[in-house]
Amino acid sequence: MRMKKFINDPRRIVPELLEGLALAFPDKVRLAGEGIVARAKGKAADKVRIVTLGGSGHEPGLSGFVGEGMLDYSVAGEIFAAPGAPKVVEALRQACAGAARALLVVLNHAGDVLTANIAMQTAAREGLAVKMVLTREDISGGPNPDDRRGLVGFLPVYKVAGAAAEQGASLDKCLEIAERMQLNMRTLAVAVRTATHPATGHPIFDLGEDEMEIGMGQHGEAGTGRMQLKSADATATIMLQMLLDDLAVSAGEELLVVINGAGATTLMELLLIFRRVAQILKEKGITLARSAIGEFITTQEQAGFQMMIARLDEELIRLWDAPCNTPFYNRI
Amino acid sequence: MTDRISISDLKRMLSEAARCLRERHEYLSQLDCVAGDGDHGTTMLSASGQLEAAVAQAPSQNSRELLKDCGWRILSIDGGASSALLGTFFLGMAETASESDFGCGALAAAFESGLNAVLKQTKARPGDKTMVDALVPAVNALHAAAESGMPIPAALEGAAAAAQAGAESTKPLVAHYGRAKFLGEKTLGHADPGAVSMALLFQGFSEALVPRREIDHGGF
Repeated sequence: MRMKKFINDPRRIVPELLEGLALAFPDKVRLAGEGIVARAKGKAADKVRIVTLGGSGHEPGLSGFVGEGMLDYSVAGEIFAAPGAPKVVEALRQACAGAARALLVVLNHAGDVLTANIAMQTAAREGLAVKMVLTREDISGGPNPDDRRGLVGFLPVYKVAGAAAEQGASLDKCLEIAERMQLNMRTLAVAVRTATHPATGHPIFDLGEDEMEIGMGQHGEAGTGRMQLKSADATATIMLQMLLDDLAVSAGEELLVVINGAGATTLMELLLIFRRVAQILKEKGITLARSAIGEFITTQEQAGFQMMIARLDEELIRLWDAPCNTPFYNRI
Repeated sequence: MTDRISISDLKRMLSEAARCLRERHEYLSQLDCVAGDGDHGTTMLSASGQLEAAVAQAPSQNSRELLKDCGWRILSIDGGASSALLGTFFLGMAETASESDFGCGALAAAFESGLNAVLKQTKARPGDKTMVDALVPAVNALHAAAESGMPIPAALEGAAAAAQAGAESTKPLVAHYGRAKFLGEKTLGHADPGAVSMALLFQGFSEALVPRREIDHGGF
């Protein structure tokens, strides 16, 4: 299979895409070093900084959410690979300049966690005030939270922690909010067609023409099982039931639902999926309190989507509704 | 016969390790296509370049500083878990490394310190189909050689053979760590690319001190 992508030098994809991001949104973001994206406008020194890290090739994740009310810094790695710890340390130094405090949000993937741990140890030696939260909500990993990957759930975590920080919450309070959000969210992914690795040109996994795989990770990591491709309604029904069971949602509770396209699945399809999710929640007497639909984290031209549900309380709803102004997520 | 590793021996070891990784990087990427996203060879090619740069630009004759520089340079590669663990290995070695030259026991201790640093950062243990499967037997072989008073070239040759056997031993295993764990049984029958890289590193260390013809190039 020949790769058909508009790229220049495959080794220069990441710096070029970050340059493009900064040029496209100069009022929101700026480049603050190799692989480091920062808010264009600073923040009061006494407010907590929200920092994240992760591989590239998943745009708009993660750097597309840097801006007022969400992230202060994002450290981007190579295509599908965690950034090196020295870059994360550099971002933390910048974030903590002037005795500011920072919350590092890390998605549970082996390389990201290793990098984050090394960076946190270095930051501690340098006396920087940083705490870390790990998002791990992919239920296909099994019952042990350590085995659950961080998927699109980063979106509500950045949102509520970022809003709390903007409102002047302490580092401990921001951490508590982020932890409460991540403990109350669950995600499941489904894939129907593979993506091409933009640097190597190879497909990242194989899937039969008439198959789908529920539980597929962001990089083609195998999921819970392959099955015959099903309709939007049938797929949404299977996935939502698995999520509701795992989160143990009862009638009367308030949920946030996020439907995230993997890159090649159309908004038309995502809307069909969302429709069925809303119908089922209504039938069960569960309140669809808030929602988000679109592409927040993609894997090139992979076809499929992630379905995320999260239990909300009054405080989390208030923080979710707070204003934010980033390249790819805005609230007024 | 070498019974001490001088700073110039260490530089030669690092350069030869860089050469071994560079020569086999395409093979490493092929192996990674089975278990990951096929970029392990690219990461190791970058690591190889960083080792060479560290040797070429070494500001002092201090072995500990040189190993630390290797570690920090490799950490700066965006290579995910592979480069983070390899960088950690060199930083760990630097923690107990001698500032000047090493005897066989000190060399074994430095490698063990590198191993311990890796084991602190990952929960992977022998049998989990990771670089640890090559590293543990290599360190054990070095310790045994040091205790029996073996000269360093022979000790490193034994460590390289043990690392290679360790990498081979990952073939029938199912991955439990890293991205490969999500592929489960698909990884059966293929050596773990991280373990093979570690074996190549030790092959380079050994070849730096042993005339090339004595090395068996079979295996991988």
